[in-house]
Amino acid sequence: MTRPAALDLLQGTLDLLILRTLQAGPLHGWAVAERIEQISQDVLQVNQGSLYPALHRLEHRGWISAEWGVSELGRRARFYRLTVAGRKQLDTEAADWERLSAAINRVLRMA
Amino acid sequence: MKAKDLWLRFRAVAFRWTVERELQDELAFHLEMQTRKNVGAGLPEAEARRQARVRFGPKPLIEDQCRDARGIGLLETLCQDMRYAFRSFRRAPTFAMTVIGTIALGLGLNAAFFTLFDAYVLRPLAVRDPYSLYSFTWMDEARRYHSFTWPEYQQFRSDNHVFSEVFAVRKQLMTRIDGHPAYGELVTGEYFRMLGVEAVMGRTLSDDDASTPGQEAVVVLSHAFWQRYFGADPFIIGKKILIRGYPCEVIGVLRDGFAGLDVLPHDFWAPLTLSPQLEDGADVFGPDHPNRLDIVGRLKPGVTRKSAQTLLTAWAQRLTAGRRDGDKAVGVLLESRATSIALSPLMLLLFAPIFAAFALVMVIACANVANMMLARGLARQREIGIRLSLGAAQSRVVRQLLTESALLAVPAAAAGFVISQTAVELSVRALFATMPAEYAEYIRFVPLLSDVRVVAFMLAAAAGSAVLFGLAPALETTRPGLVQAARGDFLYNVRPARPRNVLVVIQITASVCLLICAGLLLRGSNRFRDIDSGLRTRDVIEIYVRERTRARVLPALGSVPVVRGIGAVSSVPLDATAPRISVTARAGAVPVSVAYRFASPEFFAVFDVPLRAGRLFTQAESQTGGAVAILSQTAARRLWPNGGGVGEALMMAADSRTAGGTKIQRYSRVEVVGVAGDIATGYGESQSDKTAIYVPASSRDAGTVLVARVSGETEAARRAIDAALTAVDPGAVDHIHRMQELVVGRVYPLRVAYWLSAMVGGLALILTISGIYGLLACVVAERRKEMGIRMALGATASAVTGLVLKQSLRLAAPGLAIGALMAVGASRVLASRLIMLNTFDPGAYAWGMLLVLIACLAAAWVPAVRATRIDPVGRLRQD
Repeated sequence: MTRPAALDLLQGTLDLLILRTLQAGPLHGWAVAERIEQISQDVLQVNQGSLYPALHRLEHRGWISAEWGVSELGRRARFYRLTVAGRKQLDTEAADWERLSAAINRVLRMA
Repeated sequence: MKAKDLWLRFRAVAFRWTVERELQDELAFHLEMQTRKNVGAGLPEAEARRQARVRFGPKPLIEDQCRDARGIGLLETLCQDMRYAFRSFRRAPTFAMTVIGTIALGLGLNAAFFTLFDAYVLRPLAVRDPYSLYSFTWMDEARRYHSFTWPEYQQFRSDNHVFSEVFAVRKQLMTRIDGHPAYGELVTGEYFRMLGVEAVMGRTLSDDDASTPGQEAVVVLSHAFWQRYFGADPFIIGKKILIRGYPCEVIGVLRDGFAGLDVLPHDFWAPLTLSPQLEDGADVFGPDHPNRLDIVGRLKPGVTRKSAQTLLTAWAQRLTAGRRDGDKAVGVLLESRATSIALSPLMLLLFAPIFAAFALVMVIACANVANMMLARGLARQREIGIRLSLGAAQSRVVRQLLTESALLAVPAAAAGFVISQTAVELSVRALFATMPAEYAEYIRFVPLLSDVRVVAFMLAAAAGSAVLFGLAPALETTRPGLVQAARGDFLYNVRPARPRNVLVVIQITASVCLLICAGLLLRGSNRFRDIDSGLRTRDVIEIYVRERTRARVLPALGSVPVVRGIGAVSSVPLDATAPRISVTARAGAVPVSVAYRFASPEFFAVFDVPLRAGRLFTQAESQTGGAVAILSQTAARRLWPNGGGVGEALMMAADSRTAGGTKIQRYSRVEVVGVAGDIATGYGESQSDKTAIYVPASSRDAGTVLVARVSGETEAARRAIDAALTAVDPGAVDHIHRMQELVVGRVYPLRVAYWLSAMVGGLALILTISGIYGLLACVVAERRKEMGIRMALGATASAVTGLVLKQSLRLAAPGLAIGALMAVGASRVLASRLIMLNTFDPGAYAWGMLLVLIACLAAAWVPAVRATRIDPVGRLRQD
């Protein structure tokens, strides 16, 4: 389990990662986790326990919407889709992240 | 986004099982996929499943976190609270019913009054743009308002810069149509076009109908009148009806809901040009220029009320510039005609005490319920205390208690609405049912409907009362000290009981006072009914005839077979109040004020007024109006205390209560020729009511009312006379009444006062019962521990019951005493004004006080019995 101090950052980051992952198209929860791990080449291990609360929270904020569909294996699954508001949110959050990481990089390099 | 959130929350509450199942399915799907992946990596099935679960983490915790992510919504809490409240009401149905009943009664009473207020003061009239309509009159120095003459109206029309449209109206013309009383308006041609009122049948009046006097007579009927008296006759258009005997053709029936612009709903409208035919007195269009017209106009757009007032005042001052000082205009009255009664500051001031009284009833009802809620809160203190010490926020618990209040207020509002509707309908029906039949024909009410304003009032009052009776107890019961709670002692001292006691004592006082007054009024009205007025009324009929037909009608009246005698009098006793004049027996003596009547010699025979001394008027005196007079017994005794009077001279002088310019002023010195028995005409028994003087008149004299003694059944005789006179001239009779109806009508206000007093008193008693119940329930809840100890130490159940009942009596005693004293005061005021009441009628006092006493004990009974059910052992262990 992650330490409480890191949780905040992680939670915010997880939201950003989920939104970015869904930009390509609707996915169900398991696929979101898989995609993040694949793309990050397993560097980022998604804590599956916090994935679903995050998805539900984002849905309540109106950034993603959920609907029941049929998965690639023919089973009923809940697919999440990025909404218009979510797309906007992704832009701001991504920009924020860029600024933050750039700032941190600068500090690491030059301090 | 907000909406989305609310929808999801609502869904989570309303379809909680669906949402739960979806969550389960979603998580199961995830585990399934993970297992598949592990199997694909070469693990055996069971191990793959286990590792998937390990990777996933504790499922119940994650489910909870998902639920949390949805947030505990307002709605969810509300539903929770509501379910909880319903459960607790089911456990205490008496409590819930008492609260609902009390609040419903208060709300119902208020809504009934508001319905009345709304119908007359708030509901706009059913005309086009009612809020720009204003009536206009001018005021002289003595603050008397003046109507307009026809030439003044003409001049106003040409000078007017204030109104975009204007009409003149002669209001409240009292007539008879086919024997039924009817109220009519005579209007100028603009009336209906300007008000935008259409006819459902035929047409309304147009300018052509009202252009020249004496043209063809036409009339428009109100919908209600058409239905009531013409049985909604579909072929009414074109028929001629007789208005005061004058044939008028019905040209239209107006749409339902319009009955003129006045407090009194009107029945028909005729062109103003018919005034000479339908009205007595000077011709509106004649040379005398009587001022009988009212002006109503529509303010021009952009003209404010204030500037209109200024312009109209200037106009009225110009109009009256040439007149003598007392007749000059000093101001104008511009009154909105948007509602039946214009909503003015004065109007509100008049209504304010009534509003305050009704609001007080509501506040008392709320206070009583607050006591009940507090008692309940105290009983639940353990529960509330535990919840608070387990970390529930005070606001959360208060919210839950307020939800309970609101849930009680909703059915109370519904019940109150039903109560108000029933009360209004029953009162009107009762009023008409109990009123003497011949009176009822004259009474008109605007429709008393409950519209959107009444419903809004009801909802606001219900919400207000829920806060009023719910908030204070909720705050009170959720404030135990943490230290105490930690010790397990969830009880604490509530605020001192005194204010609550005072409230209940006030209620007891009010009910005692009202019920005693009701008793006094009932017994007084019975006594009043049985009293001998000194007049024979049972077979006498009064007839107001139209002056222009008097000469022809008199012989016809004499030839009706049932008529035994005909008299004439200027004001009929019991019907009209006679004017007064001062008389003195000799120069320098203190003048005595007496009621005077012109009376024919037959008047005394018709009413069986006995002659005590001297003689009646001779025929010659009655024809020529000789300077002789007959005194009433009381008047004679006051003028000549030592007896005598017949043959003496009497000086008569007008006093402040004598109207100017009347015939009586011709008499300055009369000879007393007789003394007649007293007649009681007022509501009191005082001496001045019985001092009377009669001067001679004959039935031919204009201004006298005919009275006829008849044989046989009186109502049949009344119809026979009416028919006989109408045959002579269709408009001969203006009113014809049985004297007996007037006698009943005289007692009627007392009866109404009795019913009102009894009903309000009964209501006060019901509130008092709820008040005592609430208070004692509270006391019992507070003293649980003490009572438990008493019982543990051997106190019997009856001793504990007695303890509670004694508390009730301790409240009742001062209430009964003060209430009785107040009743003495109130009845003295009533007795001095109008009514023959016996202020010290022991029966009324005994009944009133006994009733309240029984009510007090009955209200204490439930809490008393509850006190005996306290389990001493449990109590002691608990605290």
